[in-house]
Amino acid sequence: MQTAQSIIISCAGIGSRLGLGTTKALLEIEGRSLIAWQLELFKDVEDVRVVIGYQANDVVKEVLKYRSDVIFVYNHNYFDTKTGASFYLGSQHANERVMEYDGDLLVHPDDIRLCLEAESEYVAYSDKMSDDAVFVTVNEQGDVLGFSRREGDYEWTGPACIDREKVRYTSGNVYNQLEKFLPMPGIKIRACDIDTFEDYERAIQFVRGWRP
Amino acid sequence: MTWHNSVPTGLKPFASGSRCAVIKFIFDLDGTVTSQETLPLIAEFFGVQEEIKELTKATIAGNVPFIESFIRRVHILGKLPVDKVADLLGTVSLYSKVVDFIHAHEDDCIIATGNLDCWVARLAERVSSRFYCSSGLLEDGRVAKLTSILKKEKVVAYYKNMGATTVFIGDGNNDIEAMRLADISIATGLTHWPAPGVLSIADYLVFSEDALCRQLNQLLSVARA
Repeated sequence: MQTAQSIIISCAGIGSRLGLGTTKALLEIEGRSLIAWQLELFKDVEDVRVVIGYQANDVVKEVLKYRSDVIFVYNHNYFDTKTGASFYLGSQHANERVMEYDGDLLVHPDDIRLCLEAESEYVAYSDKMSDDAVFVTVNEQGDVLGFSRREGDYEWTGPACIDREKVRYTSGNVYNQLEKFLPMPGIKIRACDIDTFEDYERAIQFVRGWRP
Repeated sequence: MTWHNSVPTGLKPFASGSRCAVIKFIFDLDGTVTSQETLPLIAEFFGVQEEIKELTKATIAGNVPFIESFIRRVHILGKLPVDKVADLLGTVSLYSKVVDFIHAHEDDCIIATGNLDCWVARLAERVSSRFYCSSGLLEDGRVAKLTSILKKEKVVAYYKNMGATTVFIGDGNNDIEAMRLADISIATGLTHWPAPGVLSIADYLVFSEDALCRQLNQLLSVARA
């Protein structure tokens, strides 16, 4: 039987590299906000937690258009922290197994299903799409052996899923939290994260590719 | 039901460093356990809503300090017969899942309300929890004067000093200091959008009973793990 899991969507950041002056959750992609696309992926999961910081009220109001039973978690220190802190805050009082999902990430619905059905902990990765990324090296079985800023076999996109009790506070990134638990099982997914305006345009094409 | 008009001071706190796995859930009443705000309800029922409408609005907006507002509202509503006010509040609608949680964990759930003991007496019987409230002096079945106004943060401090992990659940300006002091604070938007000051310090924010009760149960489960 699958361990009860919580989804932690980290939406606290400013999205400064994107240069649109809005937090990424509110970006419009094919007529819907990014957070709306993400909530659709997790519509069958009971415990969805959205970590908020910058433009928190706007994100809350947007989420409430789609579901009212989300638990919002504040990262009041969003300016000085990264996704690792948001993941920690979101995980603290969550279910035994927690899925970390970056607020700037879109994953193909078929692949997110694979992630949700996984029995064990895992790290998800995709084909390399950008030069300015964190990469993963994997073995023949696809297990993740390491993260690197310089090189690797695939691009680290998340999500990742681990036991709640392993999540420790860091002001750094989620992959810094995961490094100490490697090697971990890997899942290859089709995904697109949005850091720059080029990524944003790519995300629009990505969604068009799976939309009915 | 245990009834408190002030925070007990005679009990000896546990020695420092003796924190245990005890968790105490301290609930605001209006709009968090009840699905209606009680003072406007009283005003409406007795036809004095115009007198306190602007005051209530200014209070929710944070433009009038809560204690000042409460004193002024009690001055208006205190002229009403206490037994009829208590009967009215005894019928106020409640968030049933929240009340079920309180009933299921009666020893660990506390209500902290600025409301008057004589007004919420019937309501308290339904919620069946430990109540901390403000109190007034009665004359001829009416509130002659306020004798104490509850500061909710004192309730939090009391249980913290006993070594408990405290969780405060609320939505209004008069909850802010209690939420700041509590180990964990949950802002609720069940009845209205929470006060901005609450959102600036809350750890969690929920808008449905399901989400609130899920979070409360998770807190219990993690505390007991």
